[in-house]
Amino acid sequence: MTAHRPGNAYSAISARVSYLALQHPHSRPWWLAMIVALLLSGWFVVGVIVLLARGVGIWGIDIPVAWAFAITDYVWWIAIGMAGTFISAALFLTRQSWRSSLNRYAEAMTVFAVSVSGLFPIFHLGRPWFFYWLAPYPNRMDVWPQWRSALVWDFFAILAYLLVSIMYWYVGLIPDLATLRDRAATRGKQVFYGLLALGWRGEARHWQRFESLSLILAGLAVPLVFSVHSMVALDFSEGMLPGWHSTIFPPFFVGGAFFSGFAMALVLGIPLRYWFGLQDFITDTHLDKLAKMMLAAGLFVDYGYAVDIFMAYYSGDRYEIAGIAARLGGAYGWVFWTVVACNVMSIQLLWSPRIRRMPVVVFVIGLLVLVGMWLERFMLIVGSLYHGYLPSSHGMFYPTQWDIAFLAGSMGLFLLMFLLFIRWLPVLSMVELRKLATPEEGAGS
Amino acid sequence: MSSLTPSSVLGQARKRLQGSTGARFWRALEELADDPVFRRELGDAVPQLASVMSMDRRHFLQLLGASLAFGGLAACSGPPGGKLVPWISQPNGMTPGVPQFYATALAYGGDVLGVLVESRDGRPTKLEGNPQHPASFGATGPLPQAAVLELWDPDRSQQPLHRGHADSWDAFAQVAAKLRMDCGQDGSGLYVLSGRLQSPTSMAQRDALLHRFPGASWHEYEPVADDNAEQGAQLAFGKPMVSRYHIEHADVILSLEADFLGDMPGRVAHARAFAGRRDPSSPMSRLYVAEATPSLTGSMADHRWTLRSADIAVFARELATELGVNGSKAIGGSGVSAARVKAVAADLLAHRGSSLVMAGESQPPPVHALAHVLNEHLGNAGKTVDYLEGNPRSSGNLADLCMALRRDDVETLIVLESNIAYSAPADLPFAELLQDVPQLIHWGLYVDETAALADWHLPATHTLENWSDLRAQDGTTSVVQPLIAPLYQGRSVHELLALLMGDTTQDGLSIVQQHWQATLGDADAAAWQHSLGRGIALAAPAAAMPPPTQREFLAGWQPARQPDDALELTFRPDPTVWDGRYANNGWLQELPKPLTQLTWSNAALISPALAATYALHNGDVITLEHGGSKLEAPVWIMPGQAGRSITVHLGYGRRAAGRVGSNLGFDAYPLRSSAQAWAAQGVTITKTGRSVELAGTQQHFQMEAPAPVREVTLAQLMAEPDIVGRDNVTPPSFYPQQPPGEYAWGMTVDLNACIGCKGCSIACQAENNIPVVGADQVRREREMHWIRVDRYYAGSPENPSIHHQPVPCMHCEHAPCELVCPVGATVHDQEGLNVQVYNRCIGTRFCSNNCPYKVRRFNFLQFSDLTTESLKAQRNPDVSVRNRGVMEKCTYCIQRIEEAHITADKAQRRIADGDIVTACQAACPTQAIRFGDISDPHSEVAKAKASPRRYDLLAELNTRPRTSYLAAVRNPNPALGDDA
Repeated sequence: MTAHRPGNAYSAISARVSYLALQHPHSRPWWLAMIVALLLSGWFVVGVIVLLARGVGIWGIDIPVAWAFAITDYVWWIAIGMAGTFISAALFLTRQSWRSSLNRYAEAMTVFAVSVSGLFPIFHLGRPWFFYWLAPYPNRMDVWPQWRSALVWDFFAILAYLLVSIMYWYVGLIPDLATLRDRAATRGKQVFYGLLALGWRGEARHWQRFESLSLILAGLAVPLVFSVHSMVALDFSEGMLPGWHSTIFPPFFVGGAFFSGFAMALVLGIPLRYWFGLQDFITDTHLDKLAKMMLAAGLFVDYGYAVDIFMAYYSGDRYEIAGIAARLGGAYGWVFWTVVACNVMSIQLLWSPRIRRMPVVVFVIGLLVLVGMWLERFMLIVGSLYHGYLPSSHGMFYPTQWDIAFLAGSMGLFLLMFLLFIRWLPVLSMVELRKLATPEEGAGS
Repeated sequence: MSSLTPSSVLGQARKRLQGSTGARFWRALEELADDPVFRRELGDAVPQLASVMSMDRRHFLQLLGASLAFGGLAACSGPPGGKLVPWISQPNGMTPGVPQFYATALAYGGDVLGVLVESRDGRPTKLEGNPQHPASFGATGPLPQAAVLELWDPDRSQQPLHRGHADSWDAFAQVAAKLRMDCGQDGSGLYVLSGRLQSPTSMAQRDALLHRFPGASWHEYEPVADDNAEQGAQLAFGKPMVSRYHIEHADVILSLEADFLGDMPGRVAHARAFAGRRDPSSPMSRLYVAEATPSLTGSMADHRWTLRSADIAVFARELATELGVNGSKAIGGSGVSAARVKAVAADLLAHRGSSLVMAGESQPPPVHALAHVLNEHLGNAGKTVDYLEGNPRSSGNLADLCMALRRDDVETLIVLESNIAYSAPADLPFAELLQDVPQLIHWGLYVDETAALADWHLPATHTLENWSDLRAQDGTTSVVQPLIAPLYQGRSVHELLALLMGDTTQDGLSIVQQHWQATLGDADAAAWQHSLGRGIALAAPAAAMPPPTQREFLAGWQPARQPDDALELTFRPDPTVWDGRYANNGWLQELPKPLTQLTWSNAALISPALAATYALHNGDVITLEHGGSKLEAPVWIMPGQAGRSITVHLGYGRRAAGRVGSNLGFDAYPLRSSAQAWAAQGVTITKTGRSVELAGTQQHFQMEAPAPVREVTLAQLMAEPDIVGRDNVTPPSFYPQQPPGEYAWGMTVDLNACIGCKGCSIACQAENNIPVVGADQVRREREMHWIRVDRYYAGSPENPSIHHQPVPCMHCEHAPCELVCPVGATVHDQEGLNVQVYNRCIGTRFCSNNCPYKVRRFNFLQFSDLTTESLKAQRNPDVSVRNRGVMEKCTYCIQRIEEAHITADKAQRRIADGDIVTACQAACPTQAIRFGDISDPHSEVAKAKASPRRYDLLAELNTRPRTSYLAAVRNPNPALGDDA
């Protein structure tokens, strides 16, 4: 691990990272990005107001395509969250210490992506103000959720995942917040970080509890990574629609989640290290490792595509065969072939170690994968719904400006939160990095 | 505050309220008085503040007193004069909340139907057929079902208009008096134009008017009528006999463009009779159809041959020659192969006395005459067809009136319920001629294109608001009785004619009653009551013996052979808006037109071959040119359309139809001449390069295996009785059967009977308060019909076989929708109904995604109109009105099931078979839909389910649907073999 270890000394790490949060250099690109994020978020807010006033009919959904952009956006965002948890929790449990320079922003990405994704299942409802009916709360009517529906379990899965992610992220932040409190020059910042640091004094007792809690939360988060996305997959495979009704969906969706998550980690990390000059922390080796994982996840997803097609023909079920034929050559055939280009072809470049260390190329491939994964969900949802059982009920979906508004707006919202994060909070985990700076820690891993 | 003093506000308010009867809803006196200042204030952000600031104490108290005194002003305009009897004890047979039914009759789309109207506490909400009426037998169809919406249409004309300004009937009475003075004894200069008169009282009033004013002239014009049939009878018999078909006796039917199931008068009874002869377990009839554009009749044919409309006459001549009719010489070249002509001739000859040849209105008179000759030749006259003396027609037609207008003979023209400014043929430019009429008086239901030109527009009563009488196609005459006092200031045509004659004492009831007393002789009150109760005043007369046919016309008639590449343009009444009169009816606009599945618009129907020649796609706009007139129309590619024939439907392009119906589609009348009313030869088309998106509800028409519609031939079914049912295997299941309730509701749809008229869709819409969503939402595939009628093609696009399939909710026993709803808003009840709990639905739409039949409908936006007062009165109080964000679907008319439960519980008995009739079932002209308890082996539906033709849609999915289908059976002529 020595090769991967950042060369900075103990205090230099704290100084460098706190400087970013306390002095916020590079404010020009930050403000530019912030304006974009605010505009997009504003568009999202307008969209929500119009949606609440008029109904989900402002989108292009119809019968038969009753789910489209909103659910695609939902699955896409929640999947992006997966990689963050995986990097911080699973690699933590497996003692992959190189993750230390990635885990903070990756976890932040998780929290924000899950928060954004959670909006969609609520706003996509015909009557969103009744979303809480999914919760099993005691009531005089004695009505409970319908437990056979995957959507109920999905509701729990998102909620649990969001709560655990926020806790894990926040617990990890506490010592760093204390560092910022100590280094803050103004009274306001001292109070701000002081309150957030919850009185952390760096006592041995604190450290001991911090370590055990981190371990417990990591232990909770890792199974959640798998369960949440399996649950999302069951939202579809529970249905009897050709193209949805498939047992491979849970692992396939988990693989897809890692795939897009690693892609997003790269797409966020590469500009971040460029603007903030973090090349010493987020090294080419990190890019190489993330790209390798993205390749591995991508290959698993590609296997899923192949199996989906194979199983349709192997089953001999004429509806499944018709569904696959429609996916490959139907009205939305272009979506499938774009997905193949993005998710199958582009990642093959990552076999080359040289390319894996070229930030620009990896960044572009990451973007392509994100596009491809969004289209893949669109293909699975719209591409299956438009071509159901009865030919009389086949029908197209055409997005409206509000479909676009919610997609672009959700990106704006994510960007807004991420920008606030890099502005006010330590983008790298000082605690973890300081551990790496000590020789005995490095020798252990 | 308002510029008006309180007393002037009150004066104006009262004046305006006098202009309307019944409760008018208003928010403030100023609004009612239509004060411009108040209107401006209403627009202000805080009008309350403005009014308070400018108001002193005295002013406030004045207003307060005025509000108290006139708060109930609307109530004061209550029931019209006459004797009022207070409700001391509940009237016999009436329970608040329990609907009552009244028999009446309804004229619609060139036909007359006896109906029962459901009245809910005085509000007519739904029509059913009158089971005793021979034109209905209890069934209706789409156009009659929509009559209720027409009654409650807020766009109806509400008060007399004098040059476009509100006026009163009293003022018009003075005009009428002056008119009588000016007309003097003779009445020359007085012209009346009416639609085709179907009311005996109207005919008597017409005769009285012409007797009183011998110089006056009465003209009848109907854009879609039976003029050709009448002239054809004149040719064949020397007098205008009306044919009455007995399809139930016909073993072999040849239709020469006769759409006897679709738009011919008597269609509902025809459909019942036809379906009765299509049961494969009894001798099944055989139907040959030759037509230019697919019709409902063509879709049911065993052999359907596509010919240009002009070539059908040639085919008829060939057939007559083959049949050995004296004087007929075939000219050849109809496009029907000699083998087919021979085969159909042999089939007709083999069924002498039980065959039937019918000619459609779109065919010229000689073809009708030839059909009469053939029926006589085949010995069918008096058996499968008999004849009635026609109604006495008015002396004049539209061309005569046009001449009079051009000669400036017309002093006063009274237009009775005819939108002549819109629907006149292109060669009779009425829209221009009417502008020069010294006095034009228009009486009609809407302020339409003609009303806009009129000096006086008088509001008509709706047929559910007035007394009248109607004579059906078969001669059965019914008294029309009102279900509700006129909503607005309308008067019936009888009252108007009486007013014109100077008789202001009689109301509609006494005019009609008087006529019937004179007709029935010493009819007492009991007979009158009896005729009202049954809905039939005079039974159908016995057939008149027609004179032998005259065949001289055959020698002189040489159907013109059109060049093979000549393009023909045919006109048809629109299947839903007819000649344009129903344009403002949202239910009819949104009903997918049978065969095209288009809504809210018409299109130029072209054959796939023509589309290929001109490289046209659906929605491409073309220019049609004929006789110097041009027309731009979007095309719709119609499988089964004759190769060189283009069809356009009348009734669109209305400019003043109302808020719903104006400016939709294109107006086809400018290409239609009186000489070539149904088919124009030698049209040219050019592409414009533009394209529009038409609102169709079904984009995919080709069936994929396994076909949703199963069809076998009679021979196949005889050879292998299990040919349909053997694939219908329900897979095993781990789950227990649904908990058995006392009843197990189920439905069957007989595809062999269904003619695809879509009466079920509108009946369901009326019964279940289904909203209208508009063209834009239909384009977005958000139509709301709970029962849709899918239409599929099989075979070559040039001449495919056409199938209809009504699809309601299947009420699956293993319902995929129930499994996926996270809040349990769709659940199963113990009687097998898959019920939707609107209150609980949060709108995830997963149920719709998981429904393999896609029968669920979602309120994507606020589709139900919650603000228009008159539409509220139309709704069925037994069915919830759904708001946005909620899923809905067919309930098997659960409100009717519950009603039967209550009735049976009160009588402490089981619900008997037939106690529950769903709305779709009741409306169906062919009784294709059966509903009942499938656990009772003696129920109709259980018997239907036991049929060897029964199959379940997508049975392999193990949804175990409670709705089953019976396969269609065709009975092709074995002699034709592959040359079908």
